[in-house]
Amino acid sequence: MPAERAGYTVTMFLIDTSPSMGKLRTVQLPPGPNNEERTSEITRLEWALQFVKLKIQEMIYNGRKTDQCGVIVFGSEDTNNIINEQNGGYENVSDYIPIAQPNAATLSKLDALKATDIYGDPLDAIIVGIHTQAVHLASKKTWTRKIVLITDGESPIELEDWEATVDKMNSLNVSMTIVGVDFDSENFGYVEANKTEMKKTNEAFFHEFISKVDNGIVGTCEEALQETARPDIKQTKSALMGTLLRLGDVDTKADEAFELVVKTSKCTAMSRPKSWKKFAVRETNPRESSQDEDAEIDMEDDKAETAKVAYAQLKMRSEYYVEQGGEADAEDDVKMEDDDEILLDKRKGKDKEVRLPSEEENTPHLEKVEREELIRGFKYGTTYAPCPDGQFPRLNTRKGIDICGFFLAKNFRRELSMGEIQYVWADPNSAKQQAAFSSIVQAMYEKDAIAIARWVTKDGMDCKMGVLTPVVWDEVDCLLWAQMPFADDVRKYTFASLDHLVNKKGEVLTEHPFIPTEEQLDAMDNFVDAMDLMDAGDKDEEGNRTPWFDTLESYNPSVHRTKQAMFHCAVVSDLSANPLPPPHPELLKYFDTPKRVLKRSRDALEECKNVLKVKQVPKKVARTRKDGHALAQDEDDNLLLEGKEPSLHHDMSQIQISEAPSPDNVKAKASVENSETEEEDEEEELLLDKVKKRATSPSAAPRKNQPLPTPARSMSPEIDPGRAPDRIIGSTYPLADFKKNIAQGDVVTKAVEDLAAVIIEIAMRPFSSRRHTELIECMQFLRETALLEDEIDAWNAFLVNLKDKCTSEPGNQEFWSEVKGVGRGLSLISNKEAKQNGGTSKVSESGSINFFS
Amino acid sequence: MAPYDDWNAIDEEEDEELQDYSYLEGKRDVILFCIDCSESMQELREDPNYEDTKTCHLFAALEAAVQIQKKKVIVGPNDSVGIMLFNTTRKTATTRIQSELKKNTFAYQPISPLGAPTIQELIRLLDDAREDPETLRKAFPPLQGKRVPMGDVFTSCNWVLRDGAPKTATKRVFLITDEDNPHSGPGSQQLITSARTTLIDLTQAGVTVEPFFISTPDNPFDVTKFYSSVLLPTNLADDDEDVDPSDPSVLPESISISRIEDLLAQMRFHEVPKRAHYSVPFKLGEGLTIGVKGYGLVTEQKKGSYKYFVDLGDRMEVATSRTVYVDEAREAEVEKTKILYGTSLGETVAVEDDEDEDDSRIEGMIREVPIGKRPFYTAEDIRSFRTMNLEPGIKLLGFKDRSELAFEDNIRHSHFIYPDEMTYSGSKRTFSALIKSLVKKKKIGLVLSLTRRNATPVFCALLPQEEKADEAGWTDPAGFHLIPLPFADDIRAATVTKAVRASDSLKDAARAWIDKLSVKNGAYPPDSYPNPALAYHNAQLEASAFREEFDPDSFEDLTLPKIEMIHKRAGALMKTWKVALAHEEAADIVDIPEKVAGTKRKAEVSVDEAEIRSMYESSSLGKMRVDQLKDFLRSKSQPVSGKKAELLERVATWFDEHA
Repeated sequence: MPAERAGYTVTMFLIDTSPSMGKLRTVQLPPGPNNEERTSEITRLEWALQFVKLKIQEMIYNGRKTDQCGVIVFGSEDTNNIINEQNGGYENVSDYIPIAQPNAATLSKLDALKATDIYGDPLDAIIVGIHTQAVHLASKKTWTRKIVLITDGESPIELEDWEATVDKMNSLNVSMTIVGVDFDSENFGYVEANKTEMKKTNEAFFHEFISKVDNGIVGTCEEALQETARPDIKQTKSALMGTLLRLGDVDTKADEAFELVVKTSKCTAMSRPKSWKKFAVRETNPRESSQDEDAEIDMEDDKAETAKVAYAQLKMRSEYYVEQGGEADAEDDVKMEDDDEILLDKRKGKDKEVRLPSEEENTPHLEKVEREELIRGFKYGTTYAPCPDGQFPRLNTRKGIDICGFFLAKNFRRELSMGEIQYVWADPNSAKQQAAFSSIVQAMYEKDAIAIARWVTKDGMDCKMGVLTPVVWDEVDCLLWAQMPFADDVRKYTFASLDHLVNKKGEVLTEHPFIPTEEQLDAMDNFVDAMDLMDAGDKDEEGNRTPWFDTLESYNPSVHRTKQAMFHCAVVSDLSANPLPPPHPELLKYFDTPKRVLKRSRDALEECKNVLKVKQVPKKVARTRKDGHALAQDEDDNLLLEGKEPSLHHDMSQIQISEAPSPDNVKAKASVENSETEEEDEEEELLLDKVKKRATSPSAAPRKNQPLPTPARSMSPEIDPGRAPDRIIGSTYPLADFKKNIAQGDVVTKAVEDLAAVIIEIAMRPFSSRRHTELIECMQFLRETALLEDEIDAWNAFLVNLKDKCTSEPGNQEFWSEVKGVGRGLSLISNKEAKQNGGTSKVSESGSINFFS
Repeated sequence: MAPYDDWNAIDEEEDEELQDYSYLEGKRDVILFCIDCSESMQELREDPNYEDTKTCHLFAALEAAVQIQKKKVIVGPNDSVGIMLFNTTRKTATTRIQSELKKNTFAYQPISPLGAPTIQELIRLLDDAREDPETLRKAFPPLQGKRVPMGDVFTSCNWVLRDGAPKTATKRVFLITDEDNPHSGPGSQQLITSARTTLIDLTQAGVTVEPFFISTPDNPFDVTKFYSSVLLPTNLADDDEDVDPSDPSVLPESISISRIEDLLAQMRFHEVPKRAHYSVPFKLGEGLTIGVKGYGLVTEQKKGSYKYFVDLGDRMEVATSRTVYVDEAREAEVEKTKILYGTSLGETVAVEDDEDEDDSRIEGMIREVPIGKRPFYTAEDIRSFRTMNLEPGIKLLGFKDRSELAFEDNIRHSHFIYPDEMTYSGSKRTFSALIKSLVKKKKIGLVLSLTRRNATPVFCALLPQEEKADEAGWTDPAGFHLIPLPFADDIRAATVTKAVRASDSLKDAARAWIDKLSVKNGAYPPDSYPNPALAYHNAQLEASAFREEFDPDSFEDLTLPKIEMIHKRAGALMKTWKVALAHEEAADIVDIPEKVAGTKRKAEVSVDEAEIRSMYESSSLGKMRVDQLKDFLRSKSQPVSGKKAELLERVATWFDEHA
């Protein structure tokens, strides 16, 4: 398809408002805070209108005058269209919104649409649509014509002469899109159950209809809605800026120096999400203004539905204050600095009570000053350095890119690159300049050299230092510019050496927990090989695997998600009833390592975990950071923490860092009824899980199924699940760990084995009696699993082992009698039982019964 | 569309990324220079920089302190600095607010926020000392025949800091001495113990000691004599060191032992307190997570922004600004917590019919919805759109060949990550093993990183760096550079797709002078290029604060190309190349393969540059048509906006400059 001209388009939306469109439809909502499924019931019309509104919102977003649309509804109570006016017929088709550039009112008008009691004929609507559009575009032949039909296909269609309509569309070069509510779609993999005959016939007809249209498509609404969220890249053509490439002194030694006319344009430019506008509820009358938000919601019941709440857009305003009345002694300066910080806090909205300077209880006496009274200047420590212009005279510089020298590309330090990359081209208007430029680029390319250069964009502007690297393409040569740091921009922090460790006696250490051993290095090498992405991408035309991840297909999630959210809130009137749908899968495609690679690297990762024995250090104090930044901990904190190095003693790594759940956690468990606590508790577990356990089955748990951790409101101390390094079941929540593993399904043997070991471990610990009930529960579940998953021998061996341990000294007779008390249900699995579940057992039924006696 | 001139104003664009770290600047830094004044420190030696002058180590140390102060006062105007001297008999005048210090220690400058007068005073003292080497000896008479116990020195440091430093600041003591064995005599064990105890006190007060030991060829500094048993690893400047004290411990790495000439350079390394930008988990795979801290090693250092001052008569006070959001129609300020977020409502919409049945009505800057409904997002929602609900952390996706990291795949500066044993034990060995493996296999890592709670997740390349020492005594630390990759949204296609290519002979001619101008084994040397614009600004700022006249001629821009050297080495070769260019056949093509389709070309537009020049010289430029003037200006990359008179003037200016 030839490139479409942006804008210069009239899109007609033909919307079905027949009675069936008023039927309720269950739509999936994004999972709730507890990952529970949520659905909502809205009418088919409301659902389908979302698509129309998103399309119109896109036009509003782009803001082109030549991007217009009109809306025609069919199945309307009245009849109002140009064909009817002239020739009659075409009943119940109504020109609802005349063709124009859409705005926010267009959207709210769409919201007012309701399904009626009258059927409308989609073919009538198409004909009216074509005609209305044609009349509007009578003198604008070159405009693009689009028609979008939205219907559920439940209304009768009068199939008469429809081929003539298709011919008309093709002659006018109209492109046609049919969006069907719950149409079957092979592509999307959707088939509607219990479809009516009427709809079946109509769907078949629409497909036939579209097949005759030169430029037509029919699809199902759900897919269309998802596609509206597909990230699309706004192609920005970089503007060419003129400058000069110089070498040597062109003023006094012109014949031994040169100055080429070159153009520069951006090669990378950071795109940012569009900024949000700020709104707040406008308090209209004294009654309302005295009520807070909760009260407003309560009012919903009492008040008539016509009550409205107005949201006003806010404007930003800067105000200036000065501290008054402080004692003017030497300490004053320091004090003022402290106050600065309070103000900073205040701006973050943390410090509510000191918000308004007029409030009497304010400690610093802030006085508002008008901007006009202020003088610009700089602070030189505590000294005031006046500078009324806001800047001192700039250094005299001359526009152009001056080459300072060359060096070999292999010595280039990639990490010094400071920012966006620019292309440098020869002057497109001069062949001579192009030849000269090309010779330099090619010579540099041949030598594999990079130039050091100094760039001034405009006379008198501050210069930048950078490098120019040659690029030789098929038909053009160019240079790429990367800004490099000045001496001032480089921070030379010292870091402890990772390899070269010296003890106090000045001896170099070769063995230390910080230094990886040969075994650890080998494990890491294998892991790096297994996680290689060079052959993890899609296959190319020749069937060779390509590398996974391409910057050209990695979309900025925040830019596109924000755009989707903006579109969404513009088209819905209540976000709690109609929350934002999930992001388009394309946006997340690089968020996780490809499954193949995960699978391939599973063993290598296990090996790494086993030999490296990395352990999370329990946090001593949970610090809540008010500023919300993931800041590094303060030096002071670290000094207070005892940085023990458990890996000093490799053999000791079996020791659990914490054995029993912390009191906090017990409390959380106890109050499971309280949903909020439960939520946090669960969240915590899941977080821990992510870190500690699921390693054994990386691919078994696709991302979708686990909730994304919602941002923690406070940093509660993390609980150590008490897992020994090579175990997947911890002693803190053995059952929960076990269930999770079983749910993932592929490490059953290991899970059974570990849970068995953990149960014995706990039972043998002193004071284990408070956990007996929990242990019995574990055993019941373990037995059930063993039976179903053919781990019968494991169970039987475990039970014998448990009996031995409990009945010998020191043992736990009490627990064993409790187990016996449960009876047959916890005994050895007999052959009879095993057979029923498709397994085998060496234990006879009587042996099982007698085991407990 | 913006006028052409505006496009040129790219320099003015603010890099938002830089603002991100402003919260770090909020934390103040306090440095106490603690300088030894003993006989040997005051012994006069040949000045390393100036001939025929004699200076002492004390002089050099104080001078270094001035340089650091000058830098600090601009970079961190809220930071405080003090100078304390020891092994001098000068006594501290006790004042109301100051504690009495231990004997033979002297607070020359108590901890206070820096200002022009403090710095000027010290500069004057040093100027006098350069004239008369005895000045310092008179000002700070050295203690004869004995030394102050180091324990007393640390105690005094503690008191000085307690008196002057704000509680929340990063507090550091720069200890400068040339004596490696202060307590060699009898009773040394006791003195060592007391030094250690007082140092622990200091550490517990949140102070780190960074020693700068002066070593001379005759008197090499041996840390093992005294300091290695006093300086505990816990008093490291490095905030993430955590060696078990019972272990055959590792020596703190922040000790600098240098020649006196390098003292300033060493201090410069330490001047900025090392602060991590973030501390996050780095997940290598399910169940394998280590802790890392991220540092900004390359960050654009900008000129400070001006502030608004209020003249209070007796002094100038900074006005603090506050941004408020108001509902303009009501003139009501809205509390931050009540602000919701939505899209622009667009132009004012004329509502044709007021049927009032609409679900939501939009009028001007108002959006109305039925009560109980909310068409706007909360701040929390907005954040989740940005972070995609991810928690801060770095997640490994896999590995790729080193060659996959292209030059042009860059969008902003990199970060440096270093393992953090404090959050995950075993981080260092894992990290170290990963570096070694990637270096060996010439691989890079690909990660998804979200380093702050309200940032956007970014794909980054993980470039390993092995430890390497350079000749200047600086060691490149081992670690990974986290290089943010551009998103598809950030990448712009090539603007020019076709151009004339050079012949091989012309290329060879260019190669000749490129060879001459290449630095063997060279690389881009950041240290050789101090930012001239910043230095020029700071010099003026300093002059303004010192109430001195700024002399622009004394300013030297070190970034300018070394023109003379270029001409000496390659001048002749460039001449040859230019001759070759004049004979280049490819360049003779009249019709240039370019031009956008649809742009109608007028016949015989182009006027030769020589022709225009002659018109300019004969002052008959006015005969030219506007489009001809514009063509000419465009070819010279000059703006083409404005009326004919302006164009004429611009053409004339161009010829003036390129006479």
